[in-house]
Amino acid sequence: MSEPTVLIRLQGVGKAYPLLHTGGRKLAHFWSLLRSRPSGEQFHALQGVDLEIRQGESLGLVGVNGAGKSTLLKLMAGVVKPSTGTLTSHARVGALLELGAGFHPEYTGRENVFLACALMGLSRAQTLERLDDILAFADIGEHVEQPIKHYSSGMVVRLGFAVATCVTPDVLITDEVLAVGDESFQRKCIAWMERYLSHGGTLLLCSHSMYHIQKLCRHAAWIHDGQLKRLGPALDVTREYIAWHERKSAGDAVGALPEGQSAAVVADTSIYHVTQLHLNGTPSSTAVELPMDAQLHVTGEVYSPDDRPPMVASSIVRPDGSPVFGVYSDISGYRAHRIAPKRFAFGLNYPRLPLLPGSYVVRAHAMDPEGMRLFDQVEARLEVVGGSRYEGVCLLEHEWFHPQ
Amino acid sequence: MTGDSALATLWRHRWLWLGFVRRDITSRYLGSVGGMAWALLHPLALLAIYALVFQAVFKVRFAELDQFPFVVFVATVLWPWMAFQEGLMRGTQSVVQHAALVKKVPFPHELLVYAAVTATFAVQLLGYTLVCVLLGLMGQALHWASLGWVLCWLVLLYVLTLAFALGLATVQVFLRDVEQVLSQVLMVLFYATPILYPLTLAPAWLQDIMRWNPLMQILDALRQALLFGLGSSALKVGVMAVAVLCLFWMTRRLFRRMSPYFEDMV
Repeated sequence: MSEPTVLIRLQGVGKAYPLLHTGGRKLAHFWSLLRSRPSGEQFHALQGVDLEIRQGESLGLVGVNGAGKSTLLKLMAGVVKPSTGTLTSHARVGALLELGAGFHPEYTGRENVFLACALMGLSRAQTLERLDDILAFADIGEHVEQPIKHYSSGMVVRLGFAVATCVTPDVLITDEVLAVGDESFQRKCIAWMERYLSHGGTLLLCSHSMYHIQKLCRHAAWIHDGQLKRLGPALDVTREYIAWHERKSAGDAVGALPEGQSAAVVADTSIYHVTQLHLNGTPSSTAVELPMDAQLHVTGEVYSPDDRPPMVASSIVRPDGSPVFGVYSDISGYRAHRIAPKRFAFGLNYPRLPLLPGSYVVRAHAMDPEGMRLFDQVEARLEVVGGSRYEGVCLLEHEWFHPQ
Repeated sequence: MTGDSALATLWRHRWLWLGFVRRDITSRYLGSVGGMAWALLHPLALLAIYALVFQAVFKVRFAELDQFPFVVFVATVLWPWMAFQEGLMRGTQSVVQHAALVKKVPFPHELLVYAAVTATFAVQLLGYTLVCVLLGLMGQALHWASLGWVLCWLVLLYVLTLAFALGLATVQVFLRDVEQVLSQVLMVLFYATPILYPLTLAPAWLQDIMRWNPLMQILDALRQALLFGLGSSALKVGVMAVAVLCLFWMTRRLFRRMSPYFEDMV
């Protein structure tokens, strides 16, 4: 089978907005645009993006607010012209950058549908032909004869999406359009998008709902600070993105001790502390990647100031610090063994790690031989990779059955 | 896309253009009971004021008034002037006014200008027709035979308005001052153009300058045609047409050159 055709191609595409505060600057900007020269201060909303959208592709865009997702969608929709790089498009693009863009509040829903359809390129006759379908999809009943200003925002979105369903573009671009509708309408929209995709449609979806991205998109692109940070299978990218968020919201809390443990962390020679931590032989400075159900060896060394064998605690947490599993060596009566004066080695084996794909942190703590005080915390990053449609952090043994 | 002529663009997007025109017309009178009657009443009121001030108070006298009442003399060009003035104002503001659309929906922005000007011309020329018919019914001898010339000059006026509107709308996106300056300029232009008086009333040296005003040429030709049944020389029409089309070509080029950057500025 041949490769699907490329519908939209971006090569080194960037978009800079001029920062114009004074009238004089605006005038200068106008003049420089006329002479095709870049001018003054600029805000780079997007830089150096290379992307190919192929027929049948479904690509989700994720990223924090202001990362440049909407600018990228606007570029591909043809609303914005790139300031750098080239963008070639060979498709009829239907853009829903804002549901209900072009709706006039004083006009009734029905009247607004006509102009919205005209904006999508439909003639009056074609609109009349599809009017019933549109109104049926929107399902707002008698309100369609009311001015839009009396609508709730959800109703406007319903009508806006309904208009989009009546034209089937080569590429459908949607920006956060599912967020406003109610549960049943969201389901309806998703069902429509799935049908559209199964008929060979191409979808570009920008959403803060990882669920929608994972459900509708094969691939995802993570936009960060105006750049394409990561492009890959939707599951992987969204997971990485969530992990990044968890780490970010944990912020300074990373490195702090879990609740209820208040020992001071001082890495000097007078206290017990972990000097080395390895995951499957890799030092803690590098993240380790593992498939699901793989074996994990947590090994390390602990410094003992009084040369007594210390106790060790180890745990696995999410990047935001929420615990997954923790264990103290004394539960199994284990003691680290002496390899040199004041230096003790420990090893912990997880034969089949049941963690679901995602980012995790493995922690190790040194404790005094009595197990009374916890002194420090050393962390190593662990990435469990692979595809899985399970939710949560670990795979629990389960089976479905038919109850009698 | 870049090579499209204005007519090709209009034809390709005719439904959207018509949609914009329809909305432009109806949205002006939304919620008002008078509706489109206001569009007719406004110039009528102006006409009444001018008649009162210039005829009753200033008692202006000129040769044409021997044949026609002042009201008829002014009415023959007042509506076309209103179409130009209002069309230019609305056309200039059209892109900025539809900022939400420009930011969110891809479509040729020039349609907004065409729609604003077209809607204004449709409304004002409807008023013009009604007034002319009314004057005819009241026994005023208008030269209906020169209707062809009238239409010809109205088309030129329409294209001229479009041309100016495209240029000003472009600058308006970058500098909102255009709108302010324009309303002043239009007020001066109204009195500088022989609308309330014939050109011959101005001193000779001023007449030579005033002849360069394209509006004077168009409005005067309209008046000559309707009041005196005078046609225009083919040369005059030809020169005007070439000049107007050249201007339109230039401002449209400017507009289309800058329209990709509108989204940054509105």
